[in-house]
Amino acid sequence: MYRLFLAIRYLLTRPINLLGMGGIAISVWALVVVVSLFSGVMAVIERHVQEAGADLMVTGLPEWAEWSRVDSALGDDPNVAATAPRLLHYGLLLRPGERPPTPPLPGRSALNGGDQPFLFVLGIDPDKEREATEFERWLGSADIPPALRVPDPDAPLADRDGTPTVLVGLDRMQREGYAIGDRLRLTTARLVPGEGGGKTPVRLELDLVVGGAYRTSHGGFTGNNVFVAYSTLARALFPDRGDPVQEVAVRVHDQTQLDATAERLQRTVHRAVERDGLGFGQVETWRQRNGQMLANVAHQRTLLKIVLIVILVVAAFLMLATLSMTVTEKIADIGILTAMGGTPGGVTLVFLASGLVITFVGVLLGLTTGVLTSVYLEEIRQGVLWAFGVDLFRLDTYNLTRVPYLIEPIWLLQVTLMALVTGLVVSAIPALRAARHDPLVSLRGV
Amino acid sequence: MTAVLQARAITKSYAIGKREIPVLRGVDLDLHAGEKVALLGASGAGKSTLLHLLGLLDRPTAGEVRYDGRPVQDLSVAERALLRHRQVGFVFQFYHLIPELTALQNVLLARMMGTTVFGYWRQRRRARSAGVAMLEQVGLGERLHHRPAELSGGERQRVAIARALLAEPRVLLADEPTGNLDSETAQGVVELMFSIQRERDLAFLLVTHDEQLAARCDRIVRMKDGTIQGSRPGDVQPEDSAQAD
Repeated sequence: MYRLFLAIRYLLTRPINLLGMGGIAISVWALVVVVSLFSGVMAVIERHVQEAGADLMVTGLPEWAEWSRVDSALGDDPNVAATAPRLLHYGLLLRPGERPPTPPLPGRSALNGGDQPFLFVLGIDPDKEREATEFERWLGSADIPPALRVPDPDAPLADRDGTPTVLVGLDRMQREGYAIGDRLRLTTARLVPGEGGGKTPVRLELDLVVGGAYRTSHGGFTGNNVFVAYSTLARALFPDRGDPVQEVAVRVHDQTQLDATAERLQRTVHRAVERDGLGFGQVETWRQRNGQMLANVAHQRTLLKIVLIVILVVAAFLMLATLSMTVTEKIADIGILTAMGGTPGGVTLVFLASGLVITFVGVLLGLTTGVLTSVYLEEIRQGVLWAFGVDLFRLDTYNLTRVPYLIEPIWLLQVTLMALVTGLVVSAIPALRAARHDPLVSLRGV
Repeated sequence: MTAVLQARAITKSYAIGKREIPVLRGVDLDLHAGEKVALLGASGAGKSTLLHLLGLLDRPTAGEVRYDGRPVQDLSVAERALLRHRQVGFVFQFYHLIPELTALQNVLLARMMGTTVFGYWRQRRRARSAGVAMLEQVGLGERLHHRPAELSGGERQRVAIARALLAEPRVLLADEPTGNLDSETAQGVVELMFSIQRERDLAFLLVTHDEQLAARCDRIVRMKDGTIQGSRPGDVQPEDSAQAD
């Protein structure tokens, strides 16, 4: 009993010990908040990219790939629920006569996009697409104002007055001031057989009419992609082929079997488009397709973890310094406590208990405030924005509506253990110094 | 009658470098219940060392320390600590109060020593009553919540006496308890200790330089160069008897 009692009294009469406690609390708080924030961002990004893509994508199909053959092969797999063909091209989408501004050009899977006219053009079959992806939801997004909604969602890419239709991302529609019925021109190129067996790019222009807006949760996808009818793009790019296909969106029945299905389909696709003994095409899950981006965020989270753990260690050194001061001041008490019936080793546990009390209270404070801060991060952001005009977290960077957070109990446990072990180690150092002290020296002296 | 505390052929030496410095050279001493023994001697005679050995704060190089006839010098550290807690009360020249604690808390520390958090929690009211009664007995009923820095030297020593006695020891070992006090205050402290010693029938060993104080004890043991030079009955003064009543 006396150990805990004295430990608390020593701490309460030495406010400087609050420094160590504060250091532990702040570092635990930071570890909880930052990791919860990044985990939340990762979870949201995963949700966004999953919502803006298919469960599985078959990409990199060669020019001789035929949709009927590939579809038939894929459909044999028991876990495949739906498939949709895609043609993928690129170009500048501008009003006729408009000149494009200077790039930079973001990558196709950038987190943001749509702020320059170079974009990807996806040729899709709306009926198949809505079975294989969330296409229906993209058209019906609540964020799309009525004036920009596709008038006939059942036939969103039907020609208007004989002109093919294009569906444009909502942000681009609003920024460029496009309205349904506006005429746009897609300027691109296609390869035609040239002299000497090579291929030569020739200019290709497609007049299109805006059919409406779509919106996915993935800002990069919505900003950088427009949809046209599969048949429109097939006629323009492959006039001599019946059913070309460059990509296939696949929906599966069982998400838990996604990886296994991807492996199976990879073999299937290789067989379906095999030539000269070589397989072509690549099958990836939505997670694999966005693996680099997700890995980047995870990497940032790991780096921050390391930095914050270093801060925890620095806080522990602060605690070590204040505890060492306490031991220096109170080492004389060891003599009388021993005389009263304490063992010299047991008496030194007073100092260990001091450190553990500091650590425990610091961890408790850090965890509590960390969890509360994480939960109310959006409110805190808005408060700071209102009071100081500083935006702590740009929501549009990740196409978010509020600051996300994900509190992982296992991480809280890890942080707690890490802090307690660190506290135990730095408390043990001055306690061991006290343990080596001869109590008789204290009793003989003043 | 078996002495409460016995020392038999105690020797103690300290190693300084390669040299062995003998401090005690074969000391025998008996301390009976209700007996006041004064240990007199010059500085360096080995008085405090003997007191530390008898109080189980240190181990003799050779010889035996016996409590109720049982040798205890070879007990484990924990067993010796427990025996010390139950049997021995110490009073030192420099009080050794813990400055962060009030007088009452310093005294209650003696109760906290031998119990767990929950054990103490269950008996906290009883312990507090005993602590208050002890401080009232030493005349500090009005100073319960004062810290050592707010107390005079005599009051601090009274707190130290109360602390030594709260655990109800059978042996009281005092190492120059008045050495840091003015004569008037010292007189009050001595009267208090003698009074409590009589009341509780304690075996009392008093280390002192003060011949007059020693003369008031039942027996005077003189030490020189680590040996006991002689032992004779003290001069019990009339006021001691009066005090006892």
